Amino acid sequence: MIWVETLINGALLGGLYGLLGIGLALVFGVMRVVNIAHGEFMVLSAFCAVLLANLFPQASPLLMLIPVIALSFAVGWLYQAAIVNRVVTSPDPLSPLLLTFGVSVILRNVMVEVFGADVRSLQVGELSRASLEVAGLNIGIMPLLTLVLAALLFMALQLVLRHTEFGRIVRATADRRDIVRLSGVKPDRVYNYVMGLSLALGAIGGVLLAVRSSFTPFSGAERLLIAFEVVVLGGLGSFWGALLGGIALGMAQLIGLKIDPNAGLLYAHHLFFIMLLIRPSGLVSSRV
Amino acid sequence: MPTRTILVASAILLVAAIAGAPLVLNEGFLRLATECLLLLTMAQMWNLLAGYAGLVSLGHQVFIAFGAYALFLTSGWLEVTPIWVLPVAPLVAGAVAAIIAFPLFRLRDAYFSIAMWVFAEIIGAFTMKSQAVGGTSGVPLATSRLIDFDWFEPTMFWLAGGLTLVTIAALYRMMTSSFGLGLMSVRDNDLAAMSVGVDVRLNRFVAFVLSAAGCGFAGALNFMGNLFIAPLAAFDVNWSVYMMFIVIIGGIGTLEGPILGVIIFFGLRELMTGPLGLSGGWYLVGLGIIAVVVMIVAPRGLWPALRDRIGVRLLDVHRAAPRPAAAAILPAASEQVTG
Repeated sequence: MIWVETLINGALLGGLYGLLGIGLALVFGVMRVVNIAHGEFMVLSAFCAVLLANLFPQASPLLMLIPVIALSFAVGWLYQAAIVNRVVTSPDPLSPLLLTFGVSVILRNVMVEVFGADVRSLQVGELSRASLEVAGLNIGIMPLLTLVLAALLFMALQLVLRHTEFGRIVRATADRRDIVRLSGVKPDRVYNYVMGLSLALGAIGGVLLAVRSSFTPFSGAERLLIAFEVVVLGGLGSFWGALLGGIALGMAQLIGLKIDPNAGLLYAHHLFFIMLLIRPSGLVSSRV
Repeated sequence: MPTRTILVASAILLVAAIAGAPLVLNEGFLRLATECLLLLTMAQMWNLLAGYAGLVSLGHQVFIAFGAYALFLTSGWLEVTPIWVLPVAPLVAGAVAAIIAFPLFRLRDAYFSIAMWVFAEIIGAFTMKSQAVGGTSGVPLATSRLIDFDWFEPTMFWLAGGLTLVTIAALYRMMTSSFGLGLMSVRDNDLAAMSVGVDVRLNRFVAFVLSAAGCGFAGALNFMGNLFIAPLAAFDVNWSVYMMFIVIIGGIGTLEGPILGVIIFFGLRELMTGPLGLSGGWYLVGLGIIAVVVMIVAPRGLWPALRDRIGVRLLDVHRAAPRPAAAAILPAASEQVTG
């Protein structure tokens, strides 16, 4: 029974991990850039939520998600317009990787200097402890809400990309950056919106993860690695795959923690590495 | 004066300078110089992989850690002065690279980079859990009592200097050989390289193993100088950050670039943490900003930009284009054929 509970909790955590991965997958799918600074932006949004929650102690901390999402969208837009667009068409595929890695180092150390290296978390009071009892299993309300929210966001993103004009423009830009210009689309501006959307999704994941577990300015690397593993495990291009990848990682992590309480992310990393060994071509195959 | 003479003369000068430096410099400067030289070696090794083989590793700290732990453990088991077991460090790091290359080389570009990082995280987590290698608290150098401390700092400096010179000389020799040419052709266009018979996988494999071995050696020397090793310091992702920033700022894919990069790296550090009194965090922010600006303004790095402006070539490994005289003969010859 305890194992069933672990698996269910792993699946619920996986919804959150899926959210971490989806922003990274979106940027990679559209502009073939792995944004190494994604994890640092998530931590930054968590810090913003903590700051806002301290400013307005009477409001529910979850309400802070709304301004933080808006802020993250703006930050993403500016980040893409000011920095990433300058290398996105570089013939060398390594330039965006190196550039975003540089940005992640800057962000991490600015956060260390501004906010200090202490461990923080976002308190939501009763909600974080509330739980449901279904057939003898204890299921947390907060993780359940997170998974539902993740599923809704995935669905919404899918709908937007499939059925709206914005979605068509994004998909067209992802396919042929040079040809969409003929239809009057400016690829760089599309990229700005995509990066804004990516960081807004990352902000939701970052804030919800800050509710679940504590964080420091150094947590960005850990979050990036989870996000990346989610994307690779799920298979690129498939948003539902990312959700499945997240669930697999969440389960692996919680089973690992049951076996060894201070394993941290070790078992999630193991799952990722084993999958790379046994199914490399399937995992790396990307949509073109 | 032919390039060869200049190179031989400057090599002799450098060897003399490194041999004589411990007699002139005080202990603090000597330690700083040792650190510079070791980081220069690591940066050259990272550059060999990123600049010449086109593989960016964000997990290179794992080889530094493997080299250093290999030295500490072997020296403890065999009860001999750490200097005599130094060759173990590159061997272990190189062997690990040779094994891990098989799964990792199926991945390209960013996948390779991040999979390397995950690999480093896994090994780091195992090291922290394993009491046999000291766990999270780390291990002191068990055989430090065998070290002659009157000569410790100079010896470390000579070893670091020797390693740096040998590395740069070997890289220069390698890049002017047909292997280096193959490596660079793979970096520039792997499809074209394959079509003229270059073994892409073998080239990458050799570069990866050499790069790991060099980092293992430099890492072992670095932690031997500290007489202590702990996983948080050994598996610190900042090793990769330093190597990357030095190479990016100085000039990726050149041998002189990392030298310029190391000068800027340490110059900025001594300036910011010394007279300006800023913390290490702000120093990394400053370095990061320089790296990002360089990547945007001069994507090839500062040295290639500087070289084109002043026209000085030091350790240039570019092949010269055919001379005008030779080029003039070619059209004439082809005319004869067509005529």
